[in-house]
Parts: sequence; C-alpha cells; structure tokens
Amino acid sequence: MKKILILFFCLIFINCKNSNKTQIHDILFESLDSNYSGIDFINQLTYKPYLNIIEYLYYYNGGGVAVGDINNDGLEDIFFTANQEIDRLYLNMGNLQFRDITKQAKLDLFPSWSNGVTMDDVNNDGFIDIYVSKLPMEGLFKNQSTHNLLYINNGDLTFTESSSDYGLDFLGFSTQSTFFDYDRDGDLDMYLMNHATHSVRSYGTTKKRKEKDSISGDRFYENLLDEGKNKFIEVTDKSGILSSPLGYGLALTTTDINDDGWLDIYVGNDFHENDYLYINNGDKTFTESFKKYFKHSSRFTMGVDVADLNEDGKLDIFTTDMMPFDSKIALKSGGEDTDKLTKIKSDYGFEPQYSRNHFHLKKPYGDYAEIGLLTKTYATDWSWSVLLQDYDNDGNNDIFISNGIAKRPNDLDYINYLSTSNYSSFVLTKQNEMKEELINQMPELKIPNILFKNKGMLDFGNIKESFFGDPSYSNGSAYSDLDNDGDLDLIVNNINSIASILENKTSKENKSLTIELKNKKAIKGSRVTVFKSNNKVDVKEAITTRGFQSSTTHRLHFGLGKSIVDSISVRWADGKTQIVNGPFKEKIQIIYNSGKFKEESIDVKNNFSLSVLPFKHEEDIYLDYEREKLIPELLSSEGPAFLLADFNNDKMLDIFIGGARYRPSQILIATKLGYELADINDFRIDQKYEDVSAATFDADNDGDMDIYVVSGGNDYKENDELMMDRIYINDGNANFSRLSVALPSTNGSVVVSHDIDDDGYDDLFVGSRSIPGGYGLSPYSFIIKNTRDGNFEPIVQSRLGMVTDAKWGNIDMDPEFELIVVGDWTPIIVIDENEDGKFVASKLKGGENYYGLWNTIELADLNDDGKSDILVGNTGKNFKWQPTIESPVYLYVDDFDENEQSDPIIFYDFFGTYRPFNTKDNLGSQMPMIKKRFNKYKDFSKVETIENLTGKKEKNILEIKKLTELKSMLFINKGEDFDPTPLPFEAQWSSIQDFFWDKETEEIFYVGNSEEFVTELGAQSANPGGIIEFDNQAIHKEFLPLPINLNLRRVIKLNNDNMLLIANNDYIYILKRIND
Amino acid sequence: MIKKINFKIILLFVLTISCTPNTEYIEKLENPELFQDAMQNLTDVIVYDIFSPPVASRVYAYPSIAAYETMRFSKPKKFITLSGQVKELEQVKSPEDKNINFNLAALYAFNKVGRALIFSEDKMDSFDEIFYKKIKSFKTPRRVIKSSKKYGEFVADHVLEWAKYDNYNQTRTYPKYTIREPENFWKPTPPDYMDGIEPHWNKIRTLVIKSAGMFPSKPPIKFDLTKGSPFQNQLQQVYEIGENLSDEQIEMAKFWDCNPYVTHHRGHAMFATKKITPGGHWIGITSVATRKAKSNFSETINAYVNVSISLFDGFISCWDEKWKTLVVRPETLINKYYDEEWLPILQTPPFPEYTSGHSVISRAAAVTLTDLFGENFNFVDTTELKYGLPERSFNSFIHASEEAAISRLYGGIHYMMAIEEGVTQGNKVGVFIVDNLQTKSN
Repeated sequence: MKKILILFFCLIFINCKNSNKTQIHDILFESLDSNYSGIDFINQLTYKPYLNIIEYLYYYNGGGVAVGDINNDGLEDIFFTANQEIDRLYLNMGNLQFRDITKQAKLDLFPSWSNGVTMDDVNNDGFIDIYVSKLPMEGLFKNQSTHNLLYINNGDLTFTESSSDYGLDFLGFSTQSTFFDYDRDGDLDMYLMNHATHSVRSYGTTKKRKEKDSISGDRFYENLLDEGKNKFIEVTDKSGILSSPLGYGLALTTTDINDDGWLDIYVGNDFHENDYLYINNGDKTFTESFKKYFKHSSRFTMGVDVADLNEDGKLDIFTTDMMPFDSKIALKSGGEDTDKLTKIKSDYGFEPQYSRNHFHLKKPYGDYAEIGLLTKTYATDWSWSVLLQDYDNDGNNDIFISNGIAKRPNDLDYINYLSTSNYSSFVLTKQNEMKEELINQMPELKIPNILFKNKGMLDFGNIKESFFGDPSYSNGSAYSDLDNDGDLDLIVNNINSIASILENKTSKENKSLTIELKNKKAIKGSRVTVFKSNNKVDVKEAITTRGFQSSTTHRLHFGLGKSIVDSISVRWADGKTQIVNGPFKEKIQIIYNSGKFKEESIDVKNNFSLSVLPFKHEEDIYLDYEREKLIPELLSSEGPAFLLADFNNDKMLDIFIGGARYRPSQILIATKLGYELADINDFRIDQKYEDVSAATFDADNDGDMDIYVVSGGNDYKENDELMMDRIYINDGNANFSRLSVALPSTNGSVVVSHDIDDDGYDDLFVGSRSIPGGYGLSPYSFIIKNTRDGNFEPIVQSRLGMVTDAKWGNIDMDPEFELIVVGDWTPIIVIDENEDGKFVASKLKGGENYYGLWNTIELADLNDDGKSDILVGNTGKNFKWQPTIESPVYLYVDDFDENEQSDPIIFYDFFGTYRPFNTKDNLGSQMPMIKKRFNKYKDFSKVETIENLTGKKEKNILEIKKLTELKSMLFINKGEDFDPTPLPFEAQWSSIQDFFWDKETEEIFYVGNSEEFVTELGAQSANPGGIIEFDNQAIHKEFLPLPINLNLRRVIKLNNDNMLLIANNDYIYILKRIND
Repeated sequence: MIKKINFKIILLFVLTISCTPNTEYIEKLENPELFQDAMQNLTDVIVYDIFSPPVASRVYAYPSIAAYETMRFSKPKKFITLSGQVKELEQVKSPEDKNINFNLAALYAFNKVGRALIFSEDKMDSFDEIFYKKIKSFKTPRRVIKSSKKYGEFVADHVLEWAKYDNYNQTRTYPKYTIREPENFWKPTPPDYMDGIEPHWNKIRTLVIKSAGMFPSKPPIKFDLTKGSPFQNQLQQVYEIGENLSDEQIEMAKFWDCNPYVTHHRGHAMFATKKITPGGHWIGITSVATRKAKSNFSETINAYVNVSISLFDGFISCWDEKWKTLVVRPETLINKYYDEEWLPILQTPPFPEYTSGHSVISRAAAVTLTDLFGENFNFVDTTELKYGLPERSFNSFIHASEEAAISRLYGGIHYMMAIEEGVTQGNKVGVFIVDNLQTKSN
C-alpha cells in the first residue's frame, strides 16, 4: 500500500512538471509548472492614482530577468525584477527546481519600482554581483530612497547592498546597466542607460543632446578596482557619452561593431530620438557614430541583440519595435509617421526611423543591409526582448521575441472617440477620477511570443508558424542552459501572470558546444569564433546584457547541427587572440593562455577603390505626396539623365548630365587633365526643365552626336510648356543649340534611338512615366520618326503604361529590332512591326505573367548563344509588398468620389490578409466619403476589398493594375520564348536601377537603392550595388564597397578598369578595380 | 316636436365636435425648443466627428438655410427668401400640399441636410427616433407628418444640390500646404505637427460677400526678430503675457479656446479632448439669445440662419487671409529663440496665424446678433458648461466678441496685430452681410 502511494505520488510529481508545450518546427519547449519549479514570481501591476500609465509613461514596460551562477555550483540561478512587487532571487537546486532565497540572501524586501537587472563580477572576487536599475519614488514611500542597487555577492548565498560605497547609487529613471571593460585595465566599468519621462511634445531640435539631465541622462562609470579601490567614479562627460533629456533609452547591449577589438555600445531609444552607437576609441572615450553605420533604425526601439544570423562569421544586429502583424490591429493603430512628419523630423536633425523591427545584416565590407522586410521579421507587434540564439542546435541562430502590452494606448478609436468630450473635465479638475476610467477604456490584447526558426539562407519562415506559447504580456527575458543538458532554456518575465520557465525539449540529434571562458581579468567582450566541419563559422561575444532589461548566461552556446568543431579562436577582451584546436567535448572551459596566442590578421580584401568626381546632381524638392495623398512613390526624383559619348570627336568620352528643375544640364568635356565644364547657352536658358532622361543620336546624319533630352516632373500638367522634350544639335565641336521643333510634352521617362526604317536617320521611342496628378493612369508614349528635314513626327502613340525604361534590340528570330518596354505596374512589353508595317504590342513570351515595378531593362547575350537575353531590374524582395501571381498587389484607379481627381487605391497582402495600403486618415483626406462610410477605425480595419472600401464593383472601375513579381529577373532567350529566372538572392535586397554586362569578365554589375517610396514603404537602402557572375547560371559574386547613403541610378563602363556610378542627388563616383 | 329639435341639436353638436380639426399639435409644433434641440444635436455630432472650424461652419449653414427656406412658407410675406440674396441659390418650388406644417417641414429639412454633411449617421438615427416619437406624442396627424416630411426633404434636396457646387468636393483634391523654410512662414506646431487645415478654403463659394478676398486686411507687420522692432515687440508681448497671466485672463483664454481637437500625450498614450469650434460657440450664443428674447419658432430659425451665414463667410474671408500671409505662430518662434520649454495655455491650432479666426468670426457673428437683438443685449453665456468650463456674463454681443478676440493673446496663440486686424475684418464682413441680407421684411 505504501509502495503504491509512493508510486502514485511520484507519478503525480512527474506529470505535474510541465504544463504547456510549444513546438515551432523541430524546436520544442515546455512550460514548467510553478509547483514543480518553485518559481511563482508574478510581476503584478496594481492601479494606483499616483502610479499608472498616465502618470508614468513606461508603466506597462514590465520587469527584467538576470541569469547567472551565484554560488559557482555549476547551476545557473535566476533574478526577477518587479515593478510594484519585491524583486526575487531563485537558487537553482538542479533538475529545474528552484528555491526562493530572496529573504535569506538579504535582498531588499521593500517593493519599489525595478526595471532592468544585470549580473556581473564587479569586484573580481570570483562571485557574480547583481545590479538593479530602479525609479526614483522618494515622495511616495516616506523618504525611503529608491536609488539603484548593487548587491555584492558575499560568496555564501548572501549579498550586501553596497551601491553607495561603490558610488553606483544613482537616483533617477534607470532602465538598464551593462558592465564591460572599456579601458582594458582588467576590471568592469559600467554604462547606465536612463530614460526621459516627459511626453514628447516638441521635437525641438537635436541641440538638446548636448545638455545634461540629472535624472534621465545616461551615465558612464569607471571602475577603480585596478587601482585597488572598490569604487566607481562617474566619467560621463570625459568619455563622450551623451547624457541629455532627449533619450528614452530602453534597449542596451555591447558589441564590437567595427572589429577593432574594443567593445562598442548600442543604445536603443524610444520615440523620435535616434538610437546611439558609441564607438569605443580605445582611449577611454567614445564617439557617437550611429549614422556612419546605419541608414535608418527602428523608431520605438525597445530591445536589441547581436548574433551571426547567416553563418558568415559576422555579427548582425536585431532591434525590436511595435508594428502589428494583424492587419485589423495595424489599420486601427497609429502607424508610420506621415511623410510630412518624416520631413519635419529630418529638418530638425533626426536620422530616419521606421516603426518596425530592424534586422541589420553585416555585409563583407563591414556595412549593414537592413533586411527586416526581406525576412518578414519586421512586425511582431509590441515587442520587447529579442534573444538571438540557436534554440534547436541546428547550427543556425534563431530569433526569440517577447511581446505584448497590457493596455493598448495607440488604438485610434480609443484616442478619437472613447476618450470623449467628457474628458474635458480631466484637464480642468477631476483628474484622479477620470484617470482610472480612461485607463479602463483602453483596449487589451494578449498575444503569444514569437520564435522565428532560422532555416538557413536568411529564411525565417513566416509569422503564422512562429507563435510561441500562450497569449501573454511578456517583457524581460533571458536564456540559459538551466538543466545543463546542452540546449538553451528560456525565462520570461510576464505582467500579471507567473513568469515562464521554458524547458527546451528539442531532440538531442543536434549537438552543441558550451564554452566557459576563464581569465583572472575580465572576460567580458571576448569574441569567440567557432570553425565548424561544414566550413561554416559561428561567432559570439561574451556579453550578457541584451534583449530588454535583462542579462543572460555568461556561458557561450553554439549549436552545431550535425557538424563538429574543428577549432576555436578566442579574441580576449585585451585584444589578444588565442587558438584552440579540437576535438572538443560538449562543455569546455577555455583558460587564458598566452602561450597559445596568435597574431590576428583581419584581411579585408578590397577589390575596388572609389573616388569622386566633383560634379553633383542636385534634386529639386517637390513633394508629390502633398498633392496626391495616396501615391506610394515619388515620381519627381528620377534623375539624373546621364550620357557618356564623344561629343567633339577627339576620341575621349565626354559626359552629359541632365539637371533637375531650375538647374542647367551640363556637358563635361574630357581632356588629358580631366573634365572641363562646357559653356552652353541654350542649356542655361533651358534650366527650367527637369531633365529625366537623355539619349545621343545623330539627328541630322552629319556624323556627330546630337542629344535628345526628355523633360519630366510630376509638378506640372501634361502639355505644359515646361514639360516639352528638347533636341540639341551638335555642330561637331560640342557646341549645342536647341532645335526648334514640337516634341512630346508628357512627364517623360526614357528615350532610346534606333533607325526604324533604315533610312540612315535615327528615329526615337519616348516613354512617359505618368499623368501628373493622376498616379496609376497610363500616359501616351511615342514612337517618333525622324523625317530628315529637322522634323520629328510621332507615328505611334500608345498608352503603354507608366514607362520607366526601354531598349531597342533583336530578341527574336527575324533580323529586325524590337522595342522592349517596362514600367511600373506593367508586364514586359514587346513592340514589333508586323507584316503590314503596323506596330503591335504584346507581352514577352514566357514572361506574360510578370507584372512589376520595373526600373531598368538591359539586353545582353549572357550565355553567348547569339540570342539577346533580358535583364530587368525591379524593386526587390526587401519590401513590404511581396506579391506573387496568386496574391498580387492591386492598384485601382478611378474618381471614386466624383470630384474630378483620380484616386489610386492600392490593396496588398499583409501577412495573409488583404488590406488597403493607405490609412483611413489618408484615404479620408482625399475622399471624404471614406469618413462617412467608415466613421470608426475598427470598421475600416475590416476592409479587405475595393468594393468594401468604396462601394464600387471591380468591373465598374476605370483602371485596375497589378504587381505579381518584385524580384529582379533574368529572362534567357530560348529562341521561341524566354525562360524566367530570378536574379540571385543578394541582388534582391534592394531595388536595382541599372545593369552593366561586362562580356569579357562575364560579370553583371548592378546598382540601386532609392528613396522614392513614401514612409509607409520606406527607403530602399540595403544594397547600393554588386556583381553577379554568369556562367550558365547567375551567381552572386560580391557586393561593391560603396557608401551607405548612395542611391545609384546608372553604372557605365568608362574604360577597362573604371566604372562610372551615377547617383541621384549626389556626386559622380568612379569605381576602379584594383585586384583580379 | 321638441324631441326632433333636440335630436337635430344633438346631431349638430356631435358633428361639430367630430369635424373640429385637432389643432393641439399645431401649437406644440410652435415650440422653438424643437429647433433648439435639433441644432444642439447637430452641434453634438459636429463635435463627435471632429470637424475643423471652417468645415463646421459649412455644416451649420446649409441645414439652417434649408430650415429657413422651408419655414418661411408659413409667413412668406414676413420672411424673404434667401434665393437672390445668397449666391446661386434658386427659388425652391412653392409647396402645394395643404397638409404641410411648415415648422415640422423645416425640422425635417434641417435634419436631412445635417445628416448628409456629418459622418456619424448612427447618431442622427438616434435623434431622428426621439424626434419622431415626440411628434407622435403631439398627436400630429399622419398626413401632416407625411406631407411635412416630404416637403421638408424636398427643400433639403434642393439645398444639397446647390451646396454641391460650392467647391467643397473639389478642394478635397487640392494639394496640401508645403512647408516653406524661411523663418517668417508658418510651420506645423507641436505636439502633433498636423498638416495645415484647409489651405484652399478661399475657393469655397461665398454666400453673401462677393469673394473670399473682398475684405483683405492690411498686411501683417514685417517679420523682424531684432529686439525692439514692431514685430519683435508683439512676439515679446505674447511671450511675457504667458508668464504673468491673471486668473481672470486664464479663464478667458480657456473659455474661448473652442479648439475642436486637443491632444494630450502621456508617453505612448494619447487622449483627445473635443469641444465646439469658434463657430459653434456663437451658435451656442444664438441659442442663449433666442431663448432670452423668447423668440418664437420662426424667429429662432431666422436668427440661426443669419448668424450661420455670417460665420460661413467670415471663415472664408479669414482663411483667405491666413493662407495668403502664412504668418508663423508665436509658439514656433518662442520655442526656437527664447525658451524651448515655453508652452501657450492653449494648444496652437493647426493653421497660420494672421488674422485670428476667433477675432474675425466672433465679430461678424456679434454684428449680426446685434442687428437681430439690439446693442445692449446682456446675456449669460452657458455654452461651454457642457465641456467642463464655467459660464460667463456679457453686456452685449460686441463685448463678448471683444473678449473672444483678446483671449487669443492670453492663450499665447496670436499676436496683437492678428487680433486687431481680425476684428476689423470681421466687422466689415458682418456689416456687409447685415446691409445686404434681409430675411425679415419690415
């Protein structure tokens, strides 16, 4: 009987260990029952009139988690911070069972607001200490001071609070701290990240960054342990750390961004203040250099982590923001800034930000490509912690994100309608009574956390297959191998529910390697590179503060998949590199051993050098979206027009650069000493035109190159005098005069010449981009015949679409040339003359279903089979719209509200649901009927079709266009038709604006990047250019070493070693090959 | 013989009684509170739907015009048609149906036009339901309701068709205002940096004044930040007054805030407080005046239509000046050059500074009300009670309008020049309308 009872109890015991399972592909976690684990910690929030979301803007940010072995018994212990409860310390007893030793450890038992927590050995005595960041609440707790706390580990499971002795008893709005050795003197110094609490009212200017704020500005403290003192001194100013009232610091980590062996600091700021990147200069100072490395960042940055996410041995950075992935929530929440506001902030000196997660992938030359959109990891709702680790040990680091906010204050119905006119009383008198009611009315929504499994090659699956665990409000999180079984477990601090201890139960098929670094001096910041037998590399830094308000295990964990580790390279915090060779057990220690040091050579092969020609294209500032509120892209920053040709017959190639409106076109004559600006009167007279494109051609058959310049711009109506194209006749010596002739006056985009009728005189095709004021409608494009008497007659005019580029070439079996045309929302159009001499347009055979936002087309015989293949540059995959043939992006154009202006309305697939591209506010400002149809944002958020939105049936709509493919493509000419292939993966990271096919080296140069999309879509900034090799198939060879801010429009070969790169609103660059 | 006579008398008596039409409802439909309720409901929906001040003036005017053009048929000699007096409005076809009660018809006309112009139709639904129940409770005969509704809505359609051509729809497509760099030009203001409201409002067809630019103000003082210059003095005045306001001045500023959408930010949280617009405030004063003067149903409508027409043209005139002169708001300059922390008491509304909207339209409305009710008409303005503000007493409409004007200086959102010139401008508009619009015959 007794035996049965014991057995019975044992069974219950075992069964009660785990409650919920979560499986993401092969990754399996089980949530431990608190009765088993002994962890019953809850970060419980209780409304108080003096403490709530209205009184304190970060009331719902949650608490933190720190993991570390406090008693050196090989088992990692856990510390939770609470906002309105007591912080707790749990001792790991083994078998995933913990004991609450808060009281025994002599920790503070007074419940005051704690935020972040870090564990580190501050006094180098071999035991890790604990630092807790807190809020100042003196007035509330009868003079009990609530400064930050430093618990020094006494080595016997007790701690002594010593923040005052150590000089770290900062009293202010602290979020989190991080310890690292900034000056290589062997002890840990500290960065303290604080946050401002005033509501954002005015963007003021960035001048405020120079000010010092005593309770909200960040701090830096130097540890004097190396001088024998157990003390820190504040060195904020000396070290160049900003300490201003502008910063809402929420995300903090350290990493060596520039590979110089010194740890740099990443600070993520909420709201409009940019994130900070402090580069460690190695001399006890830092330089804030964010914009040197990143083109843009997340706006409401809350969490950050660093890891190698594509197995290339380079560390990538991920920051979290708050973009919803459910279109119903997205459409009724405040979202991206309007374009107007984007410009205002930029004018105030703020760098660009977007309200979405950012995934900065480090490229070979050390610059970053932001690929959150590409990997579809950009929207995980209100997100806090991000922890990049290999959770299934398959060799690829996965992305864990904790998310959820207890009350959603940015619901637009709530803001505009629920907090109604009664609220007037709020401002005047009845504040306290109203507060609670207002808060109660805020919508609530629990959502599950996210775990994106890294499937390799930057494939992270999609959001729907990545929901992790039950819906909750999860904030600070940490990972550690709590049961020492070789895989990482997760600890999550939740609001108003028990903290989650998630045991990793993924199969043991995949191996792992756990490394503990040992050094008498600080090991923080050491970098460990693991070389695997599959020729892949993984690299991790010994840092612990990461994610959100939390710190993780000191041990370094590497998933190996089926590989083994050949060797390990450790670059210690003092810069010395040590190599250790395998084989290795699953858990190892690496001890600092100078005998094994090796010189680390960082050889960055630079195959190219870049120089600048001092001629700049200056774009004029016309903001299309102010006139057409619904357009997705600017149509007025197309230039510059550029030509490379010998205008004066001296065998040297001269340059023509078109000018934007009110800037004259320029000709640069090539001389032995460089380029000289030619003085051309007619160019000066004609500077009022906006030059969009140009072509050389022999208009008068006199043997020299004349120029056709296409005028464009979205700021004047069609047929306005300022839109007329021009021809300049060359007298043979590069003296150009304008030909008096009537030419098309549309918003032109391209001109290409070809002698259509073989009469010795070049004819032309002129493509048009848009009808100004009517985005989406197709303007006329023209085939113009050169009538040889100084006249040019359009013989064909056709509404081909919003044309962007065209080429004459022979792509079929007959000897005549065809005209291939591409544009926005168009297929690839082929125009051919039929037997009757009529020009007929058709879709490219084999590519009929490809509708894209094509930018450029190039004809090249890539496989040397005598037939022209086609390269088409598109927007790429790193984009919010990711259409397919099955779920295209739709553009509906009509005057829906009958007020004499066409309304372009776009619908696209947003994580599985179709939704309008524009916000309700935008649509309503152009079409008031929308405000009437959808008074509430909630009703608007349910719209999935154009008929829902406007009441108009599709069959009655004036014009419907679509996109089915945004990848840049290659069409191989098979004779009868074409074989479509997407260009290599890396070439899809940004928009491609031009190609150059180098026949000799069999290389395709491509260039791109652009800022022509509205804020809702974002700048295309990830890849200004690269090289694709073609040898039977297209393979990405390398990226080009180019500045991050470059938006390139053209790549042209100048001579054997040099390429000209033409940028929009920037200088001309010369790219020179220096290696082979 | 006597029995026969008695019978005839009884029969006559009975017939007389049963043939006497039920006239109680007619008296009940004379109650001006019916119209006051309808106007209040319209105001509530305008507030709820967050209409900007100029657009709100449109939502007040057209329903009032429809109500007036219907009501006047009850006394066609006393109340002159607006057609021929307001631009392009044609005479509505005279009613033929004898069953129409013109007060009731006027209410239907008002509600139909109102409904067409607001967004939250569900709110109109609720009101219509209550309204219908009320009329039934008066024992209004069904045929009267039917005929009155039919005619009222007929007039409503006529007015709506005419309203369609006032360019409102077209101006929805016109470009937004593009910010100009130089210091003196208006820039969006914190906390929300909203786009400037209605930069093309001067293209709306005016009602009585000949054109938007008929009463231009004298040019604003030349922009000059040098200490002691006329402009800088005015800027300094706004800055300093903000630091030393008396309680009375603060109360005045808040009383005349009339900002329909004020946002309050608390971190990621944001709340909006909604109120009536400046035009709405004067509509409210009209309700106070008509009640105090014990205006009957017709006179109540008469008062509202005159005031709302004044407001309508006043806003067009003022907005024309604002978007022509594009003067930068004090807050922008003060934050940039004097004190980054300085906050005006009121949230700066999202449109350029010169001339002051409240100064213009308050004066225009006051001139109209003075013409209607007399010069020394004192009253207690209870309009803002509903929005958490106290009541204030005024000796006259002009007095109230003067306080409205100066309150903008206390509120920290206007220079003195915009106030003074605004009052002048408003006066011109008001006087012109009084001289050129006659609704009541003498």
